[in-house]
Amino acid sequence: MSTEGLTILGKTVFDTLFIDWRIMAITAIISIILFIVGMYIQLEKWGRGIPEGATKSYGAWGALKFIISKIFEKGIGHALEILILDVAFQRRTYRRRKLEWFMHILIFWGWIGLLILTIVAAAAEFAGPFLLNQDYTYFVGVWKSLELPNDIFGYMLVLGIVIAIARRLFSTGKDVQARNADIDWILIFGLLIVVITGFYAQILRGDVTRELIEAYPPTFFNNITVMFHEVFTLLFCVAYVPFSKYFHMITAPLTILVNHGGE
Amino acid sequence: MAKEKPSINTVNFTAAQLMEFDACTRCGECVKYCPTYDARDKSQDIEPRDKILRWRDYMTKSYGLKARLFGPEKIPPEEIKKFTDDLYNCTTCGMCGTVCPAGINTIELWESTRANLVKYGTGPYGKQSLFPKLIEEGHNPYMKQQKDRLAWMTPDIKIAEKSDIAYFIGCTAGYNQQVLGVSTARILNKLNVPFMALGEEEWCCGSALIRTGQQHINDTPKKAAIHNVEALKARGAKRVIFACAGCFRAAKIDWPRAYGKELPFEAIHMSQFLAEQLEAGKIKWEKSLDKTVTYHDPCHLGRHVGVFEEPRKVIKSMPGVKLVEMKRNRKEQRCCGAGGGVKAGIPDLAMGVAKGRVNDAKETGAQALISTCPFCRRNLLDGRDELKLDMSVDDLVVLTAHLMGLSTDVQPPAPGAPKESISDLFRTQTIPPKPPAEPKKEEPKAAPKTEAPKAQAPAKEAPKSSAAK
Repeated sequence: MSTEGLTILGKTVFDTLFIDWRIMAITAIISIILFIVGMYIQLEKWGRGIPEGATKSYGAWGALKFIISKIFEKGIGHALEILILDVAFQRRTYRRRKLEWFMHILIFWGWIGLLILTIVAAAAEFAGPFLLNQDYTYFVGVWKSLELPNDIFGYMLVLGIVIAIARRLFSTGKDVQARNADIDWILIFGLLIVVITGFYAQILRGDVTRELIEAYPPTFFNNITVMFHEVFTLLFCVAYVPFSKYFHMITAPLTILVNHGGE
Repeated sequence: MAKEKPSINTVNFTAAQLMEFDACTRCGECVKYCPTYDARDKSQDIEPRDKILRWRDYMTKSYGLKARLFGPEKIPPEEIKKFTDDLYNCTTCGMCGTVCPAGINTIELWESTRANLVKYGTGPYGKQSLFPKLIEEGHNPYMKQQKDRLAWMTPDIKIAEKSDIAYFIGCTAGYNQQVLGVSTARILNKLNVPFMALGEEEWCCGSALIRTGQQHINDTPKKAAIHNVEALKARGAKRVIFACAGCFRAAKIDWPRAYGKELPFEAIHMSQFLAEQLEAGKIKWEKSLDKTVTYHDPCHLGRHVGVFEEPRKVIKSMPGVKLVEMKRNRKEQRCCGAGGGVKAGIPDLAMGVAKGRVNDAKETGAQALISTCPFCRRNLLDGRDELKLDMSVDDLVVLTAHLMGLSTDVQPPAPGAPKESISDLFRTQTIPPKPPAEPKKEEPKAAPKTEAPKAQAPAKEAPKSSAAK
């Protein structure tokens, strides 16, 4: 039994994405570099702080060290408690804004879940031939087993986005009256594009059990929508984060941790 | 070509605080609870969120990616001035931080931003700029004499020279709300608790300077904190009682920072001390009040330090007192409006917020509004008077003294004494009217250049009494 795929160091790696891996590799590298550069710029900006009594600023690494030391000021146990209750389950939002909490949890866990499943699938793709000495059927098995959780996290994300759109269309609350709040639409529609094209890619990949690549229709590979999905997702959900409102996904948890739950 | 310098700077901020500006999700929860936003007819400029977003925008224009590539974008000075004024339209009550889903420590953020802007040259606001000179030179913000710190003492009050318990009186109780000083002292005497007071050695706690971002000016609050701590230590204090929430907050949070280590004594609020004494069965009530009262949590005692239940415990134990809660109570109370330098700097804002809080009390149907901070009491009295409500406003300690059968009378008030120097609930004295002001002499007509007198610049006016917190 054989199948085609990407050959790396003499092993065949079944290509999960069914698109030109070189495009993916370049996009991923660019996205990660942009993310790191963005984070560095932000850290460097925070590191410009000169607290009362100090004579010079911290610098980027000094800022990072300061933030980490503040997080663990009250011990690892305390930091973990805050991480679980206030970051993972967003206790502070739950106390006051039940609908927004529900929306946030759906988007947050939907996003995190899909990220984790993507990492698991990629790991299985490499672990099969390199570590377990298995053929492509190992990957196909893992892939199939991830379908249901993939769907669940995907639908969570969709529901969260629908609530976010509905709130902005029909709510007159303070949250939608902020200065420059219109920028939220870029983020919401960006995420919507990720989800819609993601489901389309999922449908196309639903039939990965065929053994030979020749058995797939030619449009299956390098499908333009799927390629757009992968490239857009990497750029929008990774590279763009430090430069957008999505940055709060990093700063809000860090702030809660630094302020020990805000209590 | 040399790049333009950023219009703002980052002094007085920690790295974590600069990160906090980026943590705001714009949810607007803070807006729902902000007392000054309400008092300013819901002006967007006053929103805590908007202030964070504006400073974030300034940071991005000055230090963001575009600024790094092409140079900082200029921020017009008048925009920074407007931002400063909006920032000072805040009592630093901390309600915004309490409800912030991202857990931003807004109290410290506002104080650091204020300090930054004072150094920049656009802060503080109005009369607040008088605080550093007054407190540095006179050790109080009321232009009073140190020798008068214990002027309220009556012959029946006994204060020890040395004791392991001290009563830190504070400028407001010492000079203006003397009913609080005499009530605290008489309660301690009645409970056979020997205590000492620093008297002329007591300096302002420094709160007014820290809250308005002026702590760095001659390091006055730091010097005052160290002086007070050392003076209390030298007299053998192991426990220091504060009846003023503002001083108590300063002692609990600001003094240890200034002192550089833990204080050599325990700082305790009088309401906590009373609750302890009550539990030990030492307080014997001798009178009944027969009134429905409501309790206002001072921000500095409640949200800032976490004392919520002890004052309620004392009130609930009082004979004939029915305690009813306002809708917004404990952590979510509404500020009285006096803090953050607002009473001194922006009196109309202080009044607007006070009216909001007095109306909260009115809704409960209470006959008396009780607090346990002389500064809250003063502002709530003003709010009550403005609304012309038939509701007493008094202090928990004064109420306790009265129901313990103690006199709350002070030395006969001098003409024109502050109205709050005597109890509102148990007024047995009257404040003699102020002597009529001398008629103004007309400007000699021979001075043609003199125009009609201009409104005096707020910064140059002498502060009225009870102006700092």
